[in-house]
Amino acid sequence: MSAVEQHDQLVRVQREDFSVDAEINRVRSRSKRIGGISIFLGTARDHSKGRDVDGITFEHYEGMAQKKLREIRERALKDFDILELLIVHRYGEITIGENIVLIVAGAEHRADAFRACQWAIDELKQITPIWKLEHTPSGEVWVEEHP
Amino acid sequence: MITVKLFGMTKSLADNQPSLTLALGKNQSVKNVIELVNKRYPKLGELIYKKKILVSVNQEIAHEDTKVQESDEVALLPPFAGGAFAATKPDVMRMGSHERR
Repeated sequence: MSAVEQHDQLVRVQREDFSVDAEINRVRSRSKRIGGISIFLGTARDHSKGRDVDGITFEHYEGMAQKKLREIRERALKDFDILELLIVHRYGEITIGENIVLIVAGAEHRADAFRACQWAIDELKQITPIWKLEHTPSGEVWVEEHP
Repeated sequence: MITVKLFGMTKSLADNQPSLTLALGKNQSVKNVIELVNKRYPKLGELIYKKKILVSVNQEIAHEDTKVQESDEVALLPPFAGGAFAATKPDVMRMGSHERR
């Protein structure tokens, strides 16, 4: 795999599910200096704002979503003492319990990995053009915000 | 002519179309795009004026004065799934929740 392809693998928006182990290993393989890896895994829950949720569909702005995720990775690498950061977000229909989004931050020490990981998921939620349609027993609802 | 991409609830407010084609003249700005959207879909226009829907040009959040040409990629962005819009520019309001349809 070329350097460019490797780089592309570190920020992805994809329909298919991902393997958390494989993604952790992708980050681990980036540097032998990594001594701590922190992850955030977002999954589909069956309840939201007091209503049952049967399933979720994610829509994204192709191109802009990837661009924003690349910006997040680049800023994380610049602003935190980390060695690598990976972001994968799924789109399309997602069954309750399935993976939605994964952040993996690798650093020499755990504190930097934790900080970068939390910042990256918070930033992703703020600036990435991804929309969530919840399927509920009473109809479909576009979700506008969540903590 | 210019094509405006729609996402999420903006599609629902525009008869479920994935995009709008607008007759935009030369030397126009985002302000003119919003006026054309508002003429055809007043509900969408209202949400843009309230800054609950943002306009992007070439995949960056735009402002009323941002110039728009036919070759530009324009989109209407409803509030993102993850929360409030980021105040990436000083005059971009942070967005809270708003009434669902």
